Amino acid sequence: MLSDLLYRLRAFFRRKSMEAELDEELRAHLERQVEKYIQSGLPREEAARRARLDFGGLEQVKEECRDARGVNLVETLIQDVRYGLRMLAKNPGFTAVAVLTLALGIGANTAIFTLVDAVMLKSLPVANPQELYRVGNGDNCCMIGEFQGNWGIYSYSLYQQFRDHTPEFSQMAAFQAGLGDLSVRRGGASQLAEAYVGEFVSGNYFTMFGVSASAGRLIAPTDDRPGAPPVAVMSYRAWQQHFGLDRSVIGATFIINTMPFTVAGIAPPGFFGDTLRSDPPDFWLSLSTEPALNGQNSVLNHAGLHWLCIIGRLKPGAQPASVQSELTAELQHWQGAQPDLTAHNRSELGKQHLVLVPGGGGVARLQADSATGLRLLMAISGLVLLIACATVANLMLARGAARRAETAIRTALGAPRRRLIRQMFTESILLAVLGGAAGLIVAWSGARAILEIAFRGAGYVPISPNPSLPVLGFAFAVSLVTGIVFGVAPAWVASRCDPAEALRGAGRSTHDRSSLPRKSLVVFQVALSEVLLIGAGLLTQTLRNLENQKFGFETQGRVIARVDPALAGYKPDQLYALYQQLRQRLTQIPGVLGAAYSLYSPMRGTNWDDYIHVEGRPSDERDDASFDRVSPHYFETIGTRLWRGRVITEEDTPTSPQVAVINQTFARKYLPNQDPIGKHFGFLKPSEFEIVGVVEDAKYQDARGPAYPTFFLPFLQKAKDPKLFWLESSQYMGDIELRVAGRPEDLNAEVRRTLADIDPNLTILDMKSLSEQVAQNFNQDRLVARLTELFGALALILACVGLYGVTAYTVARRTNEIGIRMALGADRKSVLALVLRGALGLIVLGLAIGIPAALAGGRVLASLLYGVKGWDPLTLGLGAVALAICALVAAFVPARRGTKVDPIIALRYE
Amino acid sequence: MSTKRIDLPQGTLDLLILKTLALGPQHGWAVSERIQQISSEVLRIQQGSLYPALHRLERRGWIKAKWGTSENNRRAKYYELTKSGRKQLEAEETAWRKLIAAVGHVLETA
Repeated sequence: MLSDLLYRLRAFFRRKSMEAELDEELRAHLERQVEKYIQSGLPREEAARRARLDFGGLEQVKEECRDARGVNLVETLIQDVRYGLRMLAKNPGFTAVAVLTLALGIGANTAIFTLVDAVMLKSLPVANPQELYRVGNGDNCCMIGEFQGNWGIYSYSLYQQFRDHTPEFSQMAAFQAGLGDLSVRRGGASQLAEAYVGEFVSGNYFTMFGVSASAGRLIAPTDDRPGAPPVAVMSYRAWQQHFGLDRSVIGATFIINTMPFTVAGIAPPGFFGDTLRSDPPDFWLSLSTEPALNGQNSVLNHAGLHWLCIIGRLKPGAQPASVQSELTAELQHWQGAQPDLTAHNRSELGKQHLVLVPGGGGVARLQADSATGLRLLMAISGLVLLIACATVANLMLARGAARRAETAIRTALGAPRRRLIRQMFTESILLAVLGGAAGLIVAWSGARAILEIAFRGAGYVPISPNPSLPVLGFAFAVSLVTGIVFGVAPAWVASRCDPAEALRGAGRSTHDRSSLPRKSLVVFQVALSEVLLIGAGLLTQTLRNLENQKFGFETQGRVIARVDPALAGYKPDQLYALYQQLRQRLTQIPGVLGAAYSLYSPMRGTNWDDYIHVEGRPSDERDDASFDRVSPHYFETIGTRLWRGRVITEEDTPTSPQVAVINQTFARKYLPNQDPIGKHFGFLKPSEFEIVGVVEDAKYQDARGPAYPTFFLPFLQKAKDPKLFWLESSQYMGDIELRVAGRPEDLNAEVRRTLADIDPNLTILDMKSLSEQVAQNFNQDRLVARLTELFGALALILACVGLYGVTAYTVARRTNEIGIRMALGADRKSVLALVLRGALGLIVLGLAIGIPAALAGGRVLASLLYGVKGWDPLTLGLGAVALAICALVAAFVPARRGTKVDPIIALRYE
Repeated sequence: MSTKRIDLPQGTLDLLILKTLALGPQHGWAVSERIQQISSEVLRIQQGSLYPALHRLERRGWIKAKWGTSENNRRAKYYELTKSGRKQLEAEETAWRKLIAAVGHVLETA
């Protein structure tokens, strides 16, 4: 084996001298044979002829000897590549079109794969991610007080239970499921506080992940104890972007939500925490600081409030399946021992379970959210690549036809069929690799654009558009496969070339082997383009329907500013004074027509929801409703209409009777066929709130479904029952709504200044128009729609190019025939009809295949569509007509050229 | 004359070359002459086909080649059996004899 390799290598590197030796050896043989014949009395001429006959084809023998030496494989490859490159360089137009087509096809796939790799395949940048497991895969967020069924988040007490009773884990860390806003300024500095993102983590969080500080130290278990000095860890990115890698930050005091913290150190570069998401934490704080930081709203010591995710490192050899059942048992045991367990929950105890899932990728929320979209995009980009393959295969077939004479001569000279096929494949793979290399540029810019659309509104996304090693490997593999796929047809046609026929016919014959594969390819292109076009139409309509639906509020001329008085250190009893001046100060800003504030604004991604009891309705444990707290003038500011009764006004004070405004769905569901005004309901008792008004339904969370039953409470009317302690934090406004004239962006500075006037610590966390806030809910729909549109347009162009090529080629081949027809009296119109009929046949056949395929595609898309059916006749019809028109135009151009042929020239034409 | 000649069965050329070289180092032409002579011109071997076979055997390490001077003072490439080539020859000879015996037996009895 080794000697064989050495022999081959020697043969390869000494191939010049070995070639000379072979020459000499064979020549010597022939000389001897000639001598033998001369000696036997033959004349020299005859002797030489006989010797050559005895020997056989000299060149063939040499080729076989090279094969036998094993050097040939490498050598012919180099020859083929050189020859292929020469052929490509000779035909720059063809090469450019083919490489561009392939670059788009391969680039589109690589761009999507960059995303798939980053979102689905990559692990967190931590030590040995394959050892990590997440306790529970439920995607609940961010705080929940009820049984979850399939659990995903836990209270601190439950975490301690798991941590201390599951020895199979070497480390088990807890961290906040939803991130929190922080208002941060450097201690001693005079500048205003800035908005950052923070996350509470257990003391062993960084140890569990096995990451080490890039400067200073990370949070340690000793920091996570009641009474320990509060420390924070800053992300490398925040350190770099906001503090210019200033080393004096380490050990410095930072005021976080009015509480002093010491920055212990900086996390490693590239570490973005436990979850792949946009805007990951800038600061990590230990769980033990939560009570001091959140004050009365603290949740750390509420055993029944679940808000922490858990990831742990399993010891080597531990069986995830058995650990999972152990944890489920612990969960049920712990729940059963809670003192406030209701009878209903006790009956549900057996259904409570959790699953242990691999945690190397972190909490897979983004993965779960984007799986459908990514799969769809991969399928679509795959279609585009197929179309690109068909286009290039067609181009190569056309060129193959032009090279028929060349192929014929090579065959006649004794080139084995195998060698010809290999040559064709070498050329196609060469093209594909060139296309793949160019495709990397397309992929890089494509991935950047995709990230921009997919994460619209995000400040920072920890996903790089730069191709990683797996992405490069993917692009190369796709190029190879692509090269083979589109090389098959040309190679087949070339290998069937009959030299005698080809040399004799030399373009005059109407018989053409490549015409059937070429036409099939065009039909295939038309069909695939039709599928993509119709898909693009459906998804575009979906996006339009989603964005332009009746939301129940006005999206235009509204601005939302996100604030959190808790971050500025407001205690609940200080809110009244703040709210008293807020609206009045804001409405004084020129351009502001109306101002209001609420716990949350529509389509912000927040929802408060709890069980309720309604007066006159039999108690049902499943009755629940969403709720919001709103200021006076709220509904008129966001443009929600009042149907009955009144809205929340200045008269609804902390001391006035407790009232609520409900939406229509609430009235329909819980108070059907009666006047809801004056009726009562509540969280614990049906007597807490009196209904004073009914407003129009508005969508607050789910844009695809109907509005939830919802009620609206005034601020600062406090719950009397101590069990409703958790309602306290709903007294803090989360959003300010402004109705404005002119461009919303112009108000930005003025609003910030006004708030800073009221309180310099009152940081605006985010400010955008309501239409933008709504639009960000449809990022994935938009991404899918835009990309499908782009790919559909690309497919259409490629199909037209294909049809153009085939028609032009047909016209060229039939120049003779057309000349004869015209000489015999056919007019231009009939010749045009003759050529177009052929093209139309292909288009109709393509549509006949494409429309059923598109219908099947529509069924696959069904779950993504909104307000349009997968078989929407208008979309189907428009798609087919658009494709047919474009394709006919593409065929018309060369067809017309065919009719301009002068019959005399045509008949002479070869 | 040509009607009497028969084509060489697949794979036997290697055996004949090895056997010929067992007598001593030879150059290509001599090998071909020798096979023709000994087989009394019955076997038809295209002379050219000898060389790919020689190169293949060399690559397998059964024969080795070196340049020498021939009887009439011309440079020639001599092929020589190696140790493993000798073993291979024995193995192939045995196999061949078995094959002939078996085929012969079938032809006589069947």
